[in-house]
Amino acid sequence: MSIDLAKIIAGCKRKEAESFSLLVDIYSGRLFGYFYRLTGKRQVSEDLLSELFVKLVEQIKSFRGGSFESWLFKIARNIFRDYLRAKQRYGKLLDEKKKRIEENTVEAKTTETDRFDKLQIQLDKLDADTRELIMLRFYSQLSFKEMSQMRGEPIGTVLSKVHRGLKKLRELMEQ
Amino acid sequence: MNREKENLEELFEKFVDSTQAAKLAEDISEGERILRQYSAVEPRDGLRREIKAKIMDTLQRNKKGFKRFAVKVAAVAAGFIILAAVLETLFEKGLYEDKKVVYASILPEKIWESDDIIRDDADLAILLAEVKEIEEDALAVRLNENGGNGHSEVEELEMELIEINSEFWKG
Repeated sequence: MSIDLAKIIAGCKRKEAESFSLLVDIYSGRLFGYFYRLTGKRQVSEDLLSELFVKLVEQIKSFRGGSFESWLFKIARNIFRDYLRAKQRYGKLLDEKKKRIEENTVEAKTTETDRFDKLQIQLDKLDADTRELIMLRFYSQLSFKEMSQMRGEPIGTVLSKVHRGLKKLRELMEQ
Repeated sequence: MNREKENLEELFEKFVDSTQAAKLAEDISEGERILRQYSAVEPRDGLRREIKAKIMDTLQRNKKGFKRFAVKVAAVAAGFIILAAVLETLFEKGLYEDKKVVYASILPEKIWESDDIIRDDADLAILLAEVKEIEEDALAVRLNENGGNGHSEVEELEMELIEINSEFWKG
């Protein structure tokens, strides 16, 4: 961790608004990208990003040193998982007919607005876990060792999943 | 190890031979190059400002929450102090001990404290007088002071005892 980042985090622990403001400037772009690539929806990504920074204010005292990015993206990952769980619960509440209508509506909306780049379309073809792992690697800038610690998986497993996923993505992008 | 110092080839060499490791590392680098080409997804203008405003709100709410908590703690502490002071005053006056004596006593307090039973309870005085009379009659029978008419005297005493007994249980 750089000296500047350490100072900013210390300021955040003292509940200084300016320090949190600096963290927003430094990390909001990468975190937004992470959420956006996982959800494919701009509005949802904005909501998740806001939620993350509010959580950051509440939980900053629990940061005990080490890699700040690792800690931050762990919160981001949990927020994304909560979002997925809520989405699944909501899906179960709908009957089949309503579900079909909603899916058609969402599909139409995303086609018009959100899926503007080829990468997003191809990313959606990967399985959820691989997609999450690739985005975590790309936006968090964590090393494979840090990622394996965060996910509680052997480093070989993480390496293999990322390699397989990126290779598949490259093939899809070249089609 | 952080990302900058990470050597992918060395990492892969722990699992595969060096030729394969170089190929796998290259696959990853190529995949990440594609991601960089499409990485320009930026949050809309104003989102950062909105998030900063939300952070300010949260910080202020937390401060207010802490103040409210401090006031509640102070109120509870003050309550305990007042309660302790009241209890201390009550114990000093001995109110609890006095009440215990009053409730534990079955007889009226003045009888409990008096030696003059006749003045305190008329019924008890009558009973005592009758007992005394019987005692005197019994003594006369024993001493044969009734002029040889002992049999009728004993019967009379017995009748009197039965009468007293029935009167006593009537209350």
